[in-house]
Amino acid sequence: MECSEAPTFFIDRRRGTLSDSRRASLEVHLAECEICRRDDAADAALSALLESRLPRRRAPESLRRAVAAKWDRLSSPRLSRANRVARSVGSMTLGAAVAVLVLVGWHARLPSETMVAEAVGDHLRVLYRDRPVEVESGGIHQVKPWFEGRLDFAPVVSFGGDDDFPLLGGSVGYFVDRKAATFVFKRRLHLITLFVFRAQGLPWPAIAPELVGHAHGALQTSKGFHVLLWQEGDLGYALVSDVDERDLKALAGKIASGG
Amino acid sequence: MPFVLAVGAADSVCYAPRVREKPESLLPSAVLDHLDALFRLARHLTGDDADAQDLVQETYARAYSAGLRLGVGSNVRAWLFRILRNLFIDAYRRNRNSPIGVSLEDDESADNAVAHEPLRGDAELERLRGAVAEDIEAALSSLSVDARTVVLLDLEGLTETELAEVLGCSVGTVKSRLSRARAILRKRLCDYAR
Repeated sequence: MECSEAPTFFIDRRRGTLSDSRRASLEVHLAECEICRRDDAADAALSALLESRLPRRRAPESLRRAVAAKWDRLSSPRLSRANRVARSVGSMTLGAAVAVLVLVGWHARLPSETMVAEAVGDHLRVLYRDRPVEVESGGIHQVKPWFEGRLDFAPVVSFGGDDDFPLLGGSVGYFVDRKAATFVFKRRLHLITLFVFRAQGLPWPAIAPELVGHAHGALQTSKGFHVLLWQEGDLGYALVSDVDERDLKALAGKIASGG
Repeated sequence: MPFVLAVGAADSVCYAPRVREKPESLLPSAVLDHLDALFRLARHLTGDDADAQDLVQETYARAYSAGLRLGVGSNVRAWLFRILRNLFIDAYRRNRNSPIGVSLEDDESADNAVAHEPLRGDAELERLRGAVAEDIEAALSSLSVDARTVVLLDLEGLTETELAEVLGCSVGTVKSRLSRARAILRKRLCDYAR
């Protein structure tokens, strides 16, 4: 294999989609060619960067509603006059209900934006560190004792990671105005940060519709990152990542119920 | 670049979809499954939330007016991305002020054809690894439309066949385009992460 051809197969080799003969040929070339080896390492670094650091924005809800409404309108058959009147009345009722919900939601969400922004900012600081954790994990029984003497509370986290969400380790950080225990989990190439802190005196969301173990939490999205906030006893929990919402909820369930 | 849509533009997007189903098989929820990914690509192409929303809305409008009927097995995802890309390129061509090109060749001529020049040493590799979200977004936005599209849609999990449909090229060409685009992105990222 030539140097001009090798880079076209770097990704396929990492993804395991190369044929045996092609992979063998590429590996022989990489063993002999330092330039292509370095190029391959750089390409792997690029994949890791794109997977872990490029924000995965979600479409705004307003856009989702607009597209859905337009699609629905275009695909609906023409209505009779009576149906149009009935539909208008229904729409007005629905509109009023939506307005009430939006107002309640807006009012409830506003204070907690501080917490969401803080959680995302703190998560980014973890990502940008050369070493995201100060103590590397050999399990939760190794990480939790490390916090003794470093925090003025004991973080209650009994989930020590599993194959789906390995625990990388922990560190001490800050959340808004207080110290926080920071646990870093992994989901494929994505990092997930859990902050545990004293809950009192923070602007928690008034509405928490997500079930997290036996607690209730609020899920919000900012800058492409999902943030799940919940309280258990005196402690507050913020789980942040750009992984899929379902993955974040799955991990939160394990943390809240102790795995 | 401000994204301005003009009535009658994007003739190239009004081709027939590969699979047509009866109107009653329309599935709005299936259409909306692709909304986030379409918005992400639109946001990276336009560089602006409002422009990205306009572009996505127009994509759906074009898809519907071209007679899209969703059915299981139809390659709707690639078709929607192709409409979005073509709409953006049409808007781009009306705006001659943008310094960013459409094709990979524009990137390679801007970089003096050094796309396949390897990183010079460990320091450059470390700089690449230290890039943050802002660096990545800035480097991506400096790429041509096609380079951005192929890198981002590969990240979204599109297959080579789907990428070929979006870019309007052969499946064989996709591999080399993706590799070239990623090489250029790596070089640009090293510059942005300094």
